[in-house]
Amino acid sequence: MLPLDGVKVAAVTVVWAGPHCTQVLAEWGAEVIRVEPIDAIQPYSRGAERIATKEQVIVSVKNGLTLSAYPDYDPGQEPWNRNPGFNSHSRNKKSMACNIMTPEGKMAFLKLIKEVDVLVENNVPTTIEKAGITYDTLKEINPRLIMLRMPAYGLSGPYKGYRAFGTHVEAMIGHHYIRGYPDGTPDETGEAFTADAFAGLLGATAITAALRYRDTTGEGQQIEMPLAEGFLPNLGEFILDFEMNNRVAGPQGNTHHSHAPHGVFPTSGDDQWIAIDVSEDEEWFSLCEVLGADTLASDTRFHTQLSRFQNRDFLHDELNKYTIKHQKFNLFVELQQSGVCAGPVTDDVELLESPQLIDRGFFEELESPVIGKHRYPGIMTKWVGTPNSIRTPPPRLGEHTEEIYKQLLGYSDEEYNKLLEEGHVGDRYPDHLLPDFLKTSK
Amino acid sequence: MSRQLFEGIKVLELGTMVGVPYSGKLFADYGAEVVKIEPPEGDPSRLEGPFLNDIPDKEASALFLHLNTSKRSITCDLFSSAGRDIARTLIEQHDIVIENFPPGTLDSLGLGFQTFAKEKPDLVLGSLTPFGQTGPWKDFKGSELILQAMAGPMHINGHSSREPIKLGGNLAHYHAGLALTYACALARLRVERGGSGEHIDQSVYEAQAGFRDRRTPGLTAASYSGKSSKRGGLSSRVASGPRPASDGYANIFAGASKHVPEFLRLIGRPDLAEQPDAEKPFTQMGEQFIEELEGAYGIWLIERTKREAVAATQAIGILGGAVLTIEDLLNDPHYQEREVWETVDHPVTGSMRYPGRHFVTSGATRQQMNRAPLLGEHTVEILSSIGYSNSDLVQLRRAQVI
Repeated sequence: MLPLDGVKVAAVTVVWAGPHCTQVLAEWGAEVIRVEPIDAIQPYSRGAERIATKEQVIVSVKNGLTLSAYPDYDPGQEPWNRNPGFNSHSRNKKSMACNIMTPEGKMAFLKLIKEVDVLVENNVPTTIEKAGITYDTLKEINPRLIMLRMPAYGLSGPYKGYRAFGTHVEAMIGHHYIRGYPDGTPDETGEAFTADAFAGLLGATAITAALRYRDTTGEGQQIEMPLAEGFLPNLGEFILDFEMNNRVAGPQGNTHHSHAPHGVFPTSGDDQWIAIDVSEDEEWFSLCEVLGADTLASDTRFHTQLSRFQNRDFLHDELNKYTIKHQKFNLFVELQQSGVCAGPVTDDVELLESPQLIDRGFFEELESPVIGKHRYPGIMTKWVGTPNSIRTPPPRLGEHTEEIYKQLLGYSDEEYNKLLEEGHVGDRYPDHLLPDFLKTSK
Repeated sequence: MSRQLFEGIKVLELGTMVGVPYSGKLFADYGAEVVKIEPPEGDPSRLEGPFLNDIPDKEASALFLHLNTSKRSITCDLFSSAGRDIARTLIEQHDIVIENFPPGTLDSLGLGFQTFAKEKPDLVLGSLTPFGQTGPWKDFKGSELILQAMAGPMHINGHSSREPIKLGGNLAHYHAGLALTYACALARLRVERGGSGEHIDQSVYEAQAGFRDRRTPGLTAASYSGKSSKRGGLSSRVASGPRPASDGYANIFAGASKHVPEFLRLIGRPDLAEQPDAEKPFTQMGEQFIEELEGAYGIWLIERTKREAVAATQAIGILGGAVLTIEDLLNDPHYQEREVWETVDHPVTGSMRYPGRHFVTSGATRQQMNRAPLLGEHTVEILSSIGYSNSDLVQLRRAQVI
């Protein structure tokens, strides 16, 4: 039995944080229904606001921007069903065509609210206010409703209306500044939408606790989970350092306050690196032995943790000369077998081949008629007594509309057909929203 | 009814450093009763710092003080038989046990999940390790740096012409601790609804591989295309990513947004807004156009503060944020107005602002966060409550068990 079996979740979610929250709810049993318009393009959701052609995808992927990498680079006739960003979170979910901004859509949405336990949304606060679906109105319809709102900065305060991706939140919360090269500038660092991932997982934790609270009290509630505030705990030691010592943490790079060596070292091949983190003296001598670095092992400047740390720049330069002769995966295994804490910097293609992840069954193969058969990252937590796996592939836009309107919401055939004829429901965007190469009536 | 979210749950923490203590903190700050068993010398994070005035002190480590709020601390050497007896009694009295010993350690101490399967079928045991309880790498070592390198965002963080760098702080371990908390909360919900207990096997490595920072989309894209995302820096997009403002950097999604024409009018270049390239995605803009856009943006930005620039671009619907330092953050009116800082007193460090609540609930209440415990501060209180007499305590102390 999965812990969230029987829990129904409505999702009005965009970009990454909200979809991640409902992803992990679905993985543990919840029935998640995505509420998505087909008569408007929901921004930053299925990548449909700017659909790239095959030629454009090939150029982007070549430049390392893989987020638009459709299967075989081909957008196909339904690119919104083939988007890797969307398909990486949407397994196990259902898709219901519904535009909450139209009267017809709002009526269906309010019927849905009566049937669900949880509503998750992560839009700009004003969008939800404009749609008139705040907690105060929804709790009148369903007092047991748990509503999670995930704005970037909160439902109050000067930044309430600010729009942001995770990367912008990470700027506004002080993390972007500390994640760079100690000798560099913030523009040299990459984007990692860490704030999205944290808020998603924290939001799911809060919902779980709120379900428990509801079991005891019978009451639902609103949870306000701003991305910025979900990120705060990651900065605790930096914040308290400022409070204690008035010290403003600078960019951290690969530094450590006492370990040496601690960083990445080049290995054979182009842009190949191994990370090494030595704390104990014993590890240091094992490292020298594996690398065949007798000269370093006998150098008294490197004999204690303190002396290695004090001479770390020189030490790192010396180590580079040895690591470059090795292949990173072989070196990693050899070092770990000798008790040295080390690991290869691993890109996406390499991680798909990780013997550890494969042994533990992390990747799962899913097949869908519009996507084909591919491997996907699976569930990040193992429960020893409750084997778990992905149940259904990513849903096509509007795939479950008819089933949900008729079976869950009680629409008659006649009522449903009217919505269909008027273009409120369906499984495809109308031609006027699509680029020429996708229009059905050319 | 006034209740906290985790009220009524008893959590026993056998955790050190970041991941498991963060999990214990989340439970404790939201109302669970959390007892932390520390080895007699203390959680090693007490020696990590940064310290008050940079003087090492087990009671003044920022990392420890932050991660252990609202808990009680008992010292107990689990590697002694008397210590194991104490732990066994405490485990029997708790709903959730969270731990980060190497795989197999709890079993070898007679404190593993199977030990309690009969008498306590509703136990939730959450185990956090670098690579998991099983698999060819289960006994490998993994630190924050190594785990970010092996399954995290490191390959895409940094400049393409330089070495990859980790994201600052202990993100991989915070994230894994959070994943563990979610799993334990779910398992406890199942128990309270009449289901069975569970042993949760959370690895930092899998939490990184399943991390929705960029990893899961990157892995999916790699599975579709056979290609990996690369280190390029945010600034590889046109007029996007951190750029210099008069007082630091602003990270504005200008050239990559769909608002390029409005943006060009805002920065005083209506002429560029009329060009066909202004309507195109940045990947299709011409070189000449990009150069003019970047130049105009650079000049406009450097004449403004980072917050002014962000406010002006937000007003036309463009996403962005000012690159704040920790000092900026603590002085920022938004976070102050939302009362995210919680002032907590401590006998050694005095009163400080801590990152407080992570989310706001309309129903459940949340108590003021309590300071982290001193080493073994509650040893006597807790051992007395499970039947140890004063003379027992003297003996245990003499044998250095507590």
